[in-house]
Amino acid sequence: MKLSHVQHLYNRVGFGITPKNLARLSKKSKINVVNELFDSSKKISVLKVDTSFLKGKTYKDFKTKEQRKELQKISKKKVSEFSIAWFLRLNNPSEILREKMTLFWTNHFVCKSKNIVFTESYNNMLRKNALGNFRSFTKIVSKEAAMLVYLNNKQNNKKSPNENFARELMELFTLGQDKYTEQDIKESARAFTGYSHRFRGEFNFKQKNHDENEKTFFGKTGNFNGDDIIDIILQQKQCARFISEKIYRYFVNENINKKHIDEMVNVFYKDYNIEELMRFVLLSEWFYDEKNIGTKIKSPIEFLVGMNIVVPHKFEKPKQIILLQRLLGQILMSPPNVAGWKTGRNWIDSNTIVTRLRLPSVLLNNAEIAYSEKGDEEAMINNLKKRKLRRNTFIKVSADWSSFDKHYKNEPNAELINYLITSKINKGTLEVLERNQQLSKRDFVLQLMSLPEYQLC
Amino acid sequence: MKRRDFLKQSTFASGMFFVPQFLKAFENNPMIKPFSHKKVVIIQLKGGNDGLNTVVPFNNDIYYQQRNNIAIKQNNLFKISDEVGLHKSLQPLQKFHDKGFLSIINNVGYPNPNLSHFRSTDIWQTASDSNEYLQNGWVGRYLDYTKGNPYNAIEVDECLSLMMKGKTQNGLAITNPKLFYNSMRSPFFNNVVSNYKDAHLSEHNLGYLYNTMIDAKSSAKYIFEKSSTKSTSDEYPENLFGKQLKTIAQFINSGLETQVYYAGLSGFDTHANQTNTQERLLRIYAESLEVFLDDLQKNNAFDDVLVLTFSEFGRRVKQNDSNGTDHGTANNVFIMGKNLKKQGLYNKLPNLANLDKNGNLKYEVDFREIYATILDKWLEVDDVAILNKSFSKLDFV
Repeated sequence: MKLSHVQHLYNRVGFGITPKNLARLSKKSKINVVNELFDSSKKISVLKVDTSFLKGKTYKDFKTKEQRKELQKISKKKVSEFSIAWFLRLNNPSEILREKMTLFWTNHFVCKSKNIVFTESYNNMLRKNALGNFRSFTKIVSKEAAMLVYLNNKQNNKKSPNENFARELMELFTLGQDKYTEQDIKESARAFTGYSHRFRGEFNFKQKNHDENEKTFFGKTGNFNGDDIIDIILQQKQCARFISEKIYRYFVNENINKKHIDEMVNVFYKDYNIEELMRFVLLSEWFYDEKNIGTKIKSPIEFLVGMNIVVPHKFEKPKQIILLQRLLGQILMSPPNVAGWKTGRNWIDSNTIVTRLRLPSVLLNNAEIAYSEKGDEEAMINNLKKRKLRRNTFIKVSADWSSFDKHYKNEPNAELINYLITSKINKGTLEVLERNQQLSKRDFVLQLMSLPEYQLC
Repeated sequence: MKRRDFLKQSTFASGMFFVPQFLKAFENNPMIKPFSHKKVVIIQLKGGNDGLNTVVPFNNDIYYQQRNNIAIKQNNLFKISDEVGLHKSLQPLQKFHDKGFLSIINNVGYPNPNLSHFRSTDIWQTASDSNEYLQNGWVGRYLDYTKGNPYNAIEVDECLSLMMKGKTQNGLAITNPKLFYNSMRSPFFNNVVSNYKDAHLSEHNLGYLYNTMIDAKSSAKYIFEKSSTKSTSDEYPENLFGKQLKTIAQFINSGLETQVYYAGLSGFDTHANQTNTQERLLRIYAESLEVFLDDLQKNNAFDDVLVLTFSEFGRRVKQNDSNGTDHGTANNVFIMGKNLKKQGLYNKLPNLANLDKNGNLKYEVDFREIYATILDKWLEVDDVAILNKSFSKLDFV
């Protein structure tokens, strides 16, 4: 397989690739490279943080308001611990494709919870189903505690149906805008009545809250439950198309090619097998088309993790990982709303571009970055006159430059460009880089990572 | 060669990246009116300020019944009518009220209110319906419409809120013009920026990245150079909010061509022991705003400024067991400006005897009517094009 194609593949299904791996894989055929990718993602490594504070506890232990408040406080801390744990795993995953797919699904089945048990369960559920069957996946999502809370299906009962989940199920998770009627929403909401969960998040179907009457949905009439509704939705070819388009935009190109999508729909519609669909995409000729290489704007997470593959580094204060994600506009486990993060050019505004171009120096060359205290802390410091209100800080990072030196020791600076940048390079910038060839390898790689071109993969 | 192409090319060739506003506007859309001097300063009281303890119906029995421990007593208010008093922490604003520079719009909200901070903030910022998820904000769409520059809408923060993001143009988040400017001034960046030659790339993502970088650099330069000519001497309170307003005043007094500013004050989520917290926060709000407005007046800049203060929602009428209040719905909005058409109370206070099934206030004024009014009557643009819908206009400006 061509070097540049292996590189492209790993940029999209992972976060980049080391020269050593690149050399090894380029000796193999495409089918073998892709097979290895799927084989290495067969395993499911559950992600967990320490939740021993809940050991032996039941809902009875949280009856008073104070107890619940205390629980929320700990839980909130644990959720950001989980967010950091996931980021660290993404930096060094054993199942690359599975983790990237999990990241993809967090921006599809978008959900957010303050409860660490629900958060952990939901994220691992995405991981388990990331390459599985979309039908069972969707049904499981509808029964996860985090989702029942997030889209109010917990409050959905036959006396006063709550349509929030039913609406988003069709608009954002399966069919897309305007592919259903308001009546479809009303009827399907009734089918999801009675869905609830227990203290630890187990699904709990409350028969007495469920509407047993007939519902008419997409022209079919019956006493449907939620699973039936999902089955009917998946009969619509539009569902296979909607998911195919989303995968195409994320892994291939933001601009849809109808012919390619038609091919994907044909593969996906017959049994909604996600692995099969992904295999088809990654083995297709068009995935490696020149117009798909080096043209996608990296998400903040892709950008951050990608830098770590080039120059591995550790954060001395792990919380600063979240600070960086905030400045770049994507905090893991904390999507802005149920529609998820807006991707592509939406990642880039005047502020985030400046932060991105500065970040390599901030992380790897001790440059300063400005930030202000936020959120809960802000209320407190409003009154503290002496405390500095806004501070510039150093992100304390220990960088493993020796690993970089080892990986790239045989590559002259001119070659480094090819390893780090897959997009076309602006002519003037290329001239600047040519003039800077005499720089040390470390300085040169910092410059490369500080370019607009480096924002693309 | 068309004029538009010529302008673009000459900018790049000369290495001068700041295109003056009138040229850019002209270049993109000759129909757009020249720069308006009117400005809007938007302040969000984040967390949901308790409007009922801010604008207090001190003769209302229901109010005192529902809020046994936390109702504001008459001696802790300054009265603005026979029935209504403002929280004593707002005292610094009294002189503006007395001059007719304050208009209080009551019962502002929207249909099917959402009680989540994040969701309701999104709704206010995007001007959407409560079941509609928009991916751009109303100020961002204003920039789209006016084909503005990033610096035409400034948020005093490090990250840009959804409100400031449009479909084709975003505002700018800035806290420290000097730092922002300096971070783009390394010789390497200068080199990369001044060597950007492939103007034809602008259709592609790479061109977008370069253009955003160049925009950021020229905005940073513009703001830094223009605002450093004027430093403000007034003593602003030493807190984040005071500092935000000080920055805004400096920008306005320097004549920056910015039409919308956005600042915020956090901590209003008073579920427990509300009295002290709210007292402290409203004092920070009013003291900072007083210095700010005085500062503008001294610089003859107040005439062109309208200050809009909102909160993502109000709070439950009945207090809870922790001497606090839970998330509510409709709330009051403060409008401050020099030439208000309706001064003092814009409309009647909420009817506490007529609540929704959760014990929350029913809204009377859709918040988007306020936006529509500001867009149409103050900024003089097409509000329907920006809000995607037609709303009736109010009569405060």
